[in-house]
Amino acid sequence: MKKWMLLGFITVVAGLLAVYGRDLLDLYRLMTHISTTNETAVADGGQWPRLTDACIGCHGAQGNSLHQGYPSLAGQPTPYLAAQLRHFASGERANPNMGPLAMSLSEADIQLLSQFFARHSAVENGSFKPDPALQEKGKKLVASGGCAACHGEGLMGRDQFPRLAGQGHDYLLTQLNAFALGRRKDPSGAMTAIVATLSVDDRKALAHYLAALAPVAK
Amino acid sequence: MAKRPTSDTGLDSKRRQFLKLAGASVAVGGFGLNVGLAHAGAGTGEAGDVLDVAIIGAGLAGLTAARDLQLAGSQSFVVLEARDRVGGRTLNFDMGNGHVSEVGGQWIGPGQTAVEDLARQLGVGTFPSFYEGNTVILGGDGRLEVDLKGTFGTDMTVAGKLSELSRDVPSGAPWNSPKAAELDKLSVGDWLAQQNIKPEDQPGWDASMTLSGGVTPAKMGLLHFLSMINSASCDYEKLDSIKDSAQGTRFVGGSQILSTRMAGQLGDKVRLQCPVRKIADWDREIVTLHTDQGLVRARKVIVAIHPALCNQVQFDPPLPQARAALQCAWPAHSPARKTAMVYSRPFWRDKGLNGHIIMLNGPIIWAWDNSPPNGEVGVINAFISNANLPSDPATAKRILTELYARAWGDEALQPVAYHDQDWGRDDPWSITCVSAIPPGFWTTHGEALRQACGNLIWSGTETADIWAGYMDGAVRAGHQSALQALNALRRV
Repeated sequence: MKKWMLLGFITVVAGLLAVYGRDLLDLYRLMTHISTTNETAVADGGQWPRLTDACIGCHGAQGNSLHQGYPSLAGQPTPYLAAQLRHFASGERANPNMGPLAMSLSEADIQLLSQFFARHSAVENGSFKPDPALQEKGKKLVASGGCAACHGEGLMGRDQFPRLAGQGHDYLLTQLNAFALGRRKDPSGAMTAIVATLSVDDRKALAHYLAALAPVAK
Repeated sequence: MAKRPTSDTGLDSKRRQFLKLAGASVAVGGFGLNVGLAHAGAGTGEAGDVLDVAIIGAGLAGLTAARDLQLAGSQSFVVLEARDRVGGRTLNFDMGNGHVSEVGGQWIGPGQTAVEDLARQLGVGTFPSFYEGNTVILGGDGRLEVDLKGTFGTDMTVAGKLSELSRDVPSGAPWNSPKAAELDKLSVGDWLAQQNIKPEDQPGWDASMTLSGGVTPAKMGLLHFLSMINSASCDYEKLDSIKDSAQGTRFVGGSQILSTRMAGQLGDKVRLQCPVRKIADWDREIVTLHTDQGLVRARKVIVAIHPALCNQVQFDPPLPQARAALQCAWPAHSPARKTAMVYSRPFWRDKGLNGHIIMLNGPIIWAWDNSPPNGEVGVINAFISNANLPSDPATAKRILTELYARAWGDEALQPVAYHDQDWGRDDPWSITCVSAIPPGFWTTHGEALRQACGNLIWSGTETADIWAGYMDGAVRAGHQSALQALNALRRV
């Protein structure tokens, strides 16, 4: 290429950037965002439209919810997630939002969804600000109650037992209260027995500690 | 508590009006002549009395039904509302100085004549949604300003195919479509997968389906979605756009004003904070409702609540299997979250921007200019992807203002008020907003939607012939259920 041609080209580009630079850059970034997120989503969950996208609104991108009331599914054990979906469908676990949705899922759907969320990494529940006193009390209750025996090291969950570390505070408290009131039952009855020994303040303390507990990499 | 009529003369006048309307409805229903009134003006709902009609739910459907009964001359009815307010899934956020922003159902559009007529009768004005100027599209670090000219930028070739398919799917009874079996096997996602949708258009379909249908395409029943388009005169654009569409017109004073005006006219016929816990003897002449304020006995009961909410009521004896199965399976996983950010003025309009944001993979699904008619203050409403914005309102407000600042500049960092409405968690009396009917639902459960059970008349927007799920559908369902009750109370 002749040097003047190159110079001319650079001049034109520089001129365009001076006039439209920010807008062009913004547009370029938007197009890049669309293509990269699309590639990632296809690699992660298959071709669009994806069944897993139906869960994003309440459970967050890749199962990490920023909302304290809607639970994070990322990193939950596959058997736990599959069991909950089946329990929602049968009514064994009563939930007005999840019941009808779970009823509309096939066993293949349940497997796909459970495996999808289980393989994603849980992230820290950064938007929850714990009360330090409650957090400290919760830590002691977790240690004395031996929660890790079922819920695994770091309370990251295993088999039929859910990850508690970094879960939404409001969700945790709602579940503890549901066990206490007999509205939720676990197959072994262990949670019902444990929660029966906890006061209202104990349950609050547990929710504060667990919600703020950083998930560890599995 | 309802009061007895004060004079016989007044009662006779009311009875004559009642008879007139009942007579008109007979012509529609095809019943015989030689009829008289059963019980108009009889009991009042006081202890031991028996009312003609008890209406469950003081949303648009229940209040419209009550208003029709009142206009027909009946005094013998009551509206039982669980909440401490009327309006159901419509709600005005009061910003002060007489300004409101709707944080529930809010728009009407072409063909929604029932709610339009009601508004006119109640003296409620309308005004167009604001969309002139550039919409901002945000995604990652990217940003694009584009004039969508009152649309959502949908690919009209694909939308046109859906419009064409909708001609065969009757809005009020999709299960009666000649193609019902074939179409109800598919999700909208199954169908879209065959349309070669480009990656840049896919988020738009996800957002549209989420906002209009309550779920992303893979879980949305094609038969149901086509029935929604059928409501919109078989024109996708009239369903899912802004200009000349179902998002095109707002009510002066906010949509909840329809309900508050009707409730005002009904006076003490409306009982708030009165949830119905149990419905007994619905298969006998007198139905007994167990409420938090005691027993209510009535000959007919209009159930003007969402089908999924019926699962919170105990029925004794149990409902017939088909109806019970419909309620049990009714989808309720669309608990929308809507926010209103208030500014001293709609500053974005000065920059040629319309205050609309479409965001890819972020907390905002769609934000729009929801200012009052003359832009006296600036309001940005937004549909929020619930789990992608922290639930703490202060944090949510900060994050949203920062996003708005990216869209329109730093003035967006200085809002004067904020409201965050999460319909899934605000109280137990909504559970969900729109109904994300999945594939297979209508061909399995459709016939049970309106089939009366004993003295129960099923109402609510979900039972409407046209615009089911919309405010217009609620008004239609209210009229329909009042007619059914009046006809049923006639003494042949």
